[in-house]
Amino acid sequence: MQSIKQSKKSTFKRGETIFLVTLLTIPVLHWLVFWLYININSIILAFQNERGVWSLTNFVQLWDQLTSPYGDTIGLALKNTLFYFLNNILVIFPLSIMIAFFIYKHVKGYKFYRIVFFLPAIISGIAMTTVYTYLLMPNGPLDAILSNIGINIPAQGFFNNSATATPTIIVYTIWTGFSSNIILIGGAMSRIPTEVLESAKIEGCGPFREMVSIVLPLTWSTLQTMIIFTMTSIFMASGPILLFMPDGGYETTTISFWIFKQVYGSGAYGGTGQYGLVSCAGFVFTLIGVPLILFVRRIFEKVPAVEY
Amino acid sequence: MKTDRVLRKRFNIPKEEASILYKRSKGEKVIYVIAFTIFAVYALSLIFPFLWLLVNSFQNKIIYQINMSDGNAFALPKRWELANYIYAFKELSYNGSNIFNMFFNSIWYTGIHIGGGILMSSFTGYCLAKYDFKVKNLMHAIIIFSMTIPIVGTAGATFKLMSDLNIYNTPFYVLFTSLSGIGLNFLIMYGFFKNISWSYAEAAFIDGASHFTVFFKIMLPMAKPIIFTLSIMSGITYWNEYMNVLLYLPDFPTIASGLFSVSRTLPRLGNTPAYFAALVISLLPVLVIFSLFSDVIMKNFTVGGLKG
Repeated sequence: MQSIKQSKKSTFKRGETIFLVTLLTIPVLHWLVFWLYININSIILAFQNERGVWSLTNFVQLWDQLTSPYGDTIGLALKNTLFYFLNNILVIFPLSIMIAFFIYKHVKGYKFYRIVFFLPAIISGIAMTTVYTYLLMPNGPLDAILSNIGINIPAQGFFNNSATATPTIIVYTIWTGFSSNIILIGGAMSRIPTEVLESAKIEGCGPFREMVSIVLPLTWSTLQTMIIFTMTSIFMASGPILLFMPDGGYETTTISFWIFKQVYGSGAYGGTGQYGLVSCAGFVFTLIGVPLILFVRRIFEKVPAVEY
Repeated sequence: MKTDRVLRKRFNIPKEEASILYKRSKGEKVIYVIAFTIFAVYALSLIFPFLWLLVNSFQNKIIYQINMSDGNAFALPKRWELANYIYAFKELSYNGSNIFNMFFNSIWYTGIHIGGGILMSSFTGYCLAKYDFKVKNLMHAIIIFSMTIPIVGTAGATFKLMSDLNIYNTPFYVLFTSLSGIGLNFLIMYGFFKNISWSYAEAAFIDGASHFTVFFKIMLPMAKPIIFTLSIMSGITYWNEYMNVLLYLPDFPTIASGLFSVSRTLPRLGNTPAYFAALVISLLPVLVIFSLFSDVIMKNFTVGGLKG
């Protein structure tokens, strides 16, 4: 009897192993090839020159580009990328929390707003950038409205000027940046027990106090996950430069756009095909980014999570 | 209590809004009116440019140019013409692909990504949430590590791998890259399966069901709502994707990458309204799907949102 039981158990266990191996083989292979191999190869490429010989040429070239004051170099790309990152973390994220809070508190028309504010997440970047570009162009709709109050958009527009091009794209990222943040933060807020808010209200708690002392601590686990994800893309923060400025002109280039530009068309359509330099830049920025992320995670772990 | 219910019914106030949480003092009302006004302006800024684009997609191309140079951005078409739509359907093309080919490419590109990505994430999510095996914790740690470290600049190595595997510029690129079992899809599927009771499986095992039967016939069907939401959201993302298509599938322009490619040429040829018409056509499928399922998307995102 016991041996039958044992044999059944071992058949069941064998079935489990076959099941796990069958289901996990493809995702594991995928990770090995498209994550591990690519990353290892990327590190190797960083230390090789164009002929595949071990060399530090890429690092020298990267340093030259980082320190060069001329042209659309990676130094400029880094500066712009950090602007986009700061904008994501200091402007878009806090504003998303505020918008989500008022929607959660059922500001008049909240159902309508929740859907309309989500539109930038579903409408293609090409359509969003097109309407934004035409809205802001000289003689465009915004110009027609502003001219009624005596203000005119500069004759060359906002995009054809190095001083205004990047700020204009940053404004675009704010304009379109709340959509999925609002839904995710709103989702976390909706899980807060109503009784907690009701008793706070009875105690005379106002909206500001309610947000700072109740809502933020109770949604902290979601917020910190979102902050970590934003931090993860610190060196890839960017606007849709390609859609606004396919050549990255007027000092709009960012690291992700610079990488795209090096690889696109592998040299045939304007790309340089300098995989080594791209990998070297990636290697250096990853080396800077990893400790930064680990540091932020360590700090967040010290903030006590509220269980409810 | 009864009076509350009567008043609520009379003034058509939803149950949840009758809570003390939605009774506001004068000061709070002012804050909410300000929030409402800001939201209204923001919502208008998102909707209005698309109405402008829609109106001008029916405008005669020459009259459009005259209007724009005269600063009459708000001039309505005297005759609402379908010529731009006919042009978009019949003549618009890029790299030998007309708008129908682009739609076809978008459909298979999106379909493969949805199918591959969600299936693999379900596999990894389910196995890691429900089974105990030797490398489970290691796999989980690797997945989280892969998602949270800020890797930059692997595009060069990726491009090289695609060329080495001979899948560059072929549909196999889409198939192979879609089979990822990590990412946001994994987090959501993992969270979902983690919360499902294992007693369903135990009951089925007692009845002699295999692990495959339990997964495919019991667990996966239970995940239908979340899979549906993820499919719609992934579908919208890949439908709008253009950068990877430009990089790795240049001969298979999708509606997003194809329209990006004509976004400069058509206006330069003086046919901006035809470009607007093509944009409107490209937006229709996404808007129709979103308007049909917006409630489901919002609800499931709210329920299954991120939690750290």
